[in-house]
Amino acid sequence: MASSPKTSASTTSAPASSATTSSASSFRQRPWVRWGAPLLLVVGLAVLPLVMTEGANDTLARIGVFAVAVLGLNVVMGYTGQVSLGQIFFLGLGAYVTAYGVQSGWNIVLVFVLTCLIPAVAGLLVALAAARLGGLAIAMVTIALPIVGVPLAKRLSDFTGGSQGLSARFVEAPEGSGLYDDQWQLYLVLVIGGIVFLMTSLLVRGKYGRAFAIVKGNENVASSMGISPYRYKVLAFTIASLIGGVSGFLYMVVVQYTSPETMSFGHSIELLVAMVIGGAGSIVGSLLGGAFYVIVPDVTNAIDPSLTALLQGALLLAVLFVLPGGLVSLPRALTRRLRRSPAGRGSAAPPTTPSSTPGSGTAAEQSETERQGHA
Amino acid sequence: MGKFVQLVVDGLSTGSVYAALALAIVLVHQATGLINFAQGGMAVLSAYVAWWLTNQGLPLIVAILLAIVFSVVFGALVERWLMRRFERGDPDTAVVVTIGLLTLITGFAGWLWTYNNQQFPSLFPLDTVSFLGVSVSVRSLGTTAVIVVAMLLLQGLFVGTKLGLALRAVAINPQSAAFSGLPVGRLLMVGWGLAAALGAVAAALVAPQLTLTPGMLDNALVYALAAVILGGLTSPIGVVVAAWIIGILENLAAVYVPFIGFDLKVAVPFILIFVVLIVRPQGLFGRKTVVRV
Repeated sequence: MASSPKTSASTTSAPASSATTSSASSFRQRPWVRWGAPLLLVVGLAVLPLVMTEGANDTLARIGVFAVAVLGLNVVMGYTGQVSLGQIFFLGLGAYVTAYGVQSGWNIVLVFVLTCLIPAVAGLLVALAAARLGGLAIAMVTIALPIVGVPLAKRLSDFTGGSQGLSARFVEAPEGSGLYDDQWQLYLVLVIGGIVFLMTSLLVRGKYGRAFAIVKGNENVASSMGISPYRYKVLAFTIASLIGGVSGFLYMVVVQYTSPETMSFGHSIELLVAMVIGGAGSIVGSLLGGAFYVIVPDVTNAIDPSLTALLQGALLLAVLFVLPGGLVSLPRALTRRLRRSPAGRGSAAPPTTPSSTPGSGTAAEQSETERQGHA
Repeated sequence: MGKFVQLVVDGLSTGSVYAALALAIVLVHQATGLINFAQGGMAVLSAYVAWWLTNQGLPLIVAILLAIVFSVVFGALVERWLMRRFERGDPDTAVVVTIGLLTLITGFAGWLWTYNNQQFPSLFPLDTVSFLGVSVSVRSLGTTAVIVVAMLLLQGLFVGTKLGLALRAVAINPQSAAFSGLPVGRLLMVGWGLAAALGAVAAALVAPQLTLTPGMLDNALVYALAAVILGGLTSPIGVVVAAWIIGILENLAAVYVPFIGFDLKVAVPFILIFVVLIVRPQGLFGRKTVVRV
């Protein structure tokens, strides 16, 4: 799983990245592009809910919900390299906390804070035990979360409503705003999701992000540098759980109903599939992953519902074979292929093209060379 | 007392199913250094093959044997054409590949044979036998016996044959094995095939009880992984013992601990794991591995 061009560029030391700027990244660094593009994005997202149909708004809101969930998974898996199969559990937990809080008539701000805190604490406890074992133990332990979570949710029917689940309608467009409910819901998802994305991208670009990358690249190197792999794995997992909780809150904003089925094992796998296909270790990849999670079942259900899992599995394997960086690396892979074909020099070319040397960690470099070898 | 013994024997039989899956996982891990999350899915596929063959009119035992042959071939092909590319790379990517395989197999079985529960005929009668005044179900005894025999055969293969020696050599050090002239790639295929066969035996034995669905062994996979963690990835015997302990404990807990009950017994191995991880992080029987930088 290669990290994305953006993040790897930011994790390289400053002189190296300024010395090696390709035409693409210098375009991206022009001031009017740097400030104009995000501004355009914000304005676009602010206008979009007003002009789209109700169905499109709902789809976009659901994409936002699962993009946040995928982002959480990316923190622990894409950036820190710890396979987690339990992310959906934290979404479900967040959704239950929200539904229970709303039904009990608690203040919505308090509900939101609890929706962040309770999954984070649960994630912390799981990680404290699971991260003690090295390697793939986190994957082997977290696979149990959805499998234990579903019967647990059915059992604790006083809190969860058992198999019937809980519904909570608490998001209605404020009086006088002139908005429809679906527009208001989408705005909430955009704002809260946007803040989560912003904070996470700051996190993974900063000090902690570099520590995560080293833990992912080589744990022994990390500990020799005074970075405790154990502590950072636990931290990454806790943050992932917290973000999962937030996505659970957003899930209740949009779907307004949750049941044990929300956190089933199948959904947990689908979330991981979506993350890898979108692009592991990438902010944009998380958005693409959220879109994949929502759109693919919508499309396949229209054709044949029993095809969904088959298609997802096939797509995941195809992506891993052809495009290990996920959909987010597609433009880069295409430009590289275009650039290479006239040159005709094959594998000698890519290392000299600056945009393809991440230099952030051994893992990124390995998969980079692997991809060149098979491209 | 009779109930207790019956519970223990039943636990031993489900524990044997977990043990077979767990052993398959350890086998693959020793050979290729990765955890195959599709081990259960592959086993379910072979159970579907056996079920389809019985529907074609073949006797059950023949169908199961053919399904085992199928899974040996399938396991070898998966190793050669899917996993080979990812074995030397990042282990996390390889794990994601196995998860993709699990999704693909589940989806394939669901698409071809629907997600509805199918009745799978039982190899053993549903009678009980009296033994020292305690009645015990034949199916539980039979399941345990068959899996123990399969394990002993596997052990014999590894210890007593040249093929087993070669397999062990590849597991310990693939590079040196290759240098001394062993066909490492083909041996890895054999290892995957054997693991798949063990899974197929487990699936055929447990399918009558669980009824056949594409996700039939999802829970069993979780138990098997728990057994792998508890037993330690480096210890086949430890894994089998851990699987039996898990099988028996969860059965006892389901009946004697009111809060757990039958629906939450899947949580039992993980409570165990939490306790063990705090006390003995390398697993009950595992060794601490030291990695050189």
